[in-house]
Amino acid sequence: MKQKICIVLAILCSVLILGACEKNSENTDFSRQNDNISQISDESSSSASKEIFAMDTYMTITAYGEKSQEAVDAAVMEIQRLDKLLSVGNSSSEVCQLNNSGNIKMSEDIKELMKTSKWIFENTDGAYDITIYPLMELWGFTKTQQAVPDQKDIDTILSCCGFEKLKIDNETLTLGKNQGIDFGGIAKGYTSARIMTIFKEYGINSGVVSLGGNVQCCGVKTDGSLWRCGITNPDAPDDTTNLLGVINVRDKAVITSGGYERFFEENGQTYHHIMNPKTGYPADSGLRSVTIVSENGTLADGLSTACFVMGRDRAVQFWKNNKDQFDMILMTDKNEIIITEGIKEAFSSDMNYEIVD
Amino acid sequence: MNNGKKGKKRFKNDFLLIGGLIISGGAVLVLALFNGHNGNSVEVRVDGEIQGIYSLSENQTIEINGTGGHNTLIIENGKALMKDADCPDQLCVRQGEISLKGQSIICLPHKVAAEITDADNSDFKSESDIDIIVK
Repeated sequence: MKQKICIVLAILCSVLILGACEKNSENTDFSRQNDNISQISDESSSSASKEIFAMDTYMTITAYGEKSQEAVDAAVMEIQRLDKLLSVGNSSSEVCQLNNSGNIKMSEDIKELMKTSKWIFENTDGAYDITIYPLMELWGFTKTQQAVPDQKDIDTILSCCGFEKLKIDNETLTLGKNQGIDFGGIAKGYTSARIMTIFKEYGINSGVVSLGGNVQCCGVKTDGSLWRCGITNPDAPDDTTNLLGVINVRDKAVITSGGYERFFEENGQTYHHIMNPKTGYPADSGLRSVTIVSENGTLADGLSTACFVMGRDRAVQFWKNNKDQFDMILMTDKNEIIITEGIKEAFSSDMNYEIVD
Repeated sequence: MNNGKKGKKRFKNDFLLIGGLIISGGAVLVLALFNGHNGNSVEVRVDGEIQGIYSLSENQTIEINGTGGHNTLIIENGKALMKDADCPDQLCVRQGEISLKGQSIICLPHKVAAEITDADNSDFKSESDIDIIVK
């Protein structure tokens, strides 16, 4: 008899739970229309989020906490400020002024970007180089039309490229002959890192930004669990249900570079936008995508490009020398996945993967 | 002997109880997963401003006045897709259907974003869900 009562109770409970779910999904609230910034308040915390188009991409900024609204507003202003400062397409930007006049007195932001760019250039044997901007122009990646250039044009431009030809003298940065720079491979990472600083200033302990798919997380989620970041599968870049893997993080930037992001086809051949500064051609290093996980957003952004150019073996060797600064997830042309030891607990995937240490 | 019979009966009832719990637990899990992944509305934004939130359960055509151009989003059989756009790259039109929570169609030239959202508006609820996509 007792058991029967138990069964009845169990069924009743599950029916109640099911009923509650049902009600929840029917309770659709469309009242948020025309409300630009959503603000959900509960007893302990509030949240704010904003979506904007800047730096030629789509960005979302979300923060939780008492001052979430102020923090998100400040983050948006910071994005717009840095966009104006660093855009190669805006003739009044500092970068444009530098490219046009050949020298500039560096702002604090440019100094910081130069510091990281220099470190990566010197430690990756030039796999990431901000001076290949004229090469990007030659290939048409700065415009809407791309085409494979003549070899002699590539050679001419390559002879002027090279970070080592830049002159840094106290506060002044001077370009070499026919040089031009673009912080495009590092600017979004720097911006997300700046937003993390702003979040801290406003006492935000939980937040996340995606600057065109470059992700940086502040703290953990409001329920105390880690942020779950889904890594795009190069085979299905638009399918959020078919992922390369998932990584759980706190206070980390997670930034991917892949040849699948921007490319064009000519005579049946595909040419992507990640240039090898040595050859002047799209990097052909046997990698399809590189994801960097690091506390330092600026570094993560630059390294995703550098490691893509270096290829598996050199990238792994580079990681071994700098384990304390970052971890990475590589996907090769043969669809092998390689992850570094530091994230073996945080990473999961439906596919097979290899751990290097 | 008598004791043995009683034991058997108890065993049978325990089995029924456990079986019942497993089945109802399974049903709850299936429903929770289903709820966690399928959004039921699409939120359309132009340059960050919400233009409207539309139910996926209703077949409809949504005309969007983007920044410097026009986009046409249609909702059909619980899925949303960009039917037409006069943008230069046509990337939004080529992207195809979206129906799962967090999926989005973005038209960069027109600053249009259409994103699948959940009914109750609360993000990051289910443990199994992905919070953000890295690309």
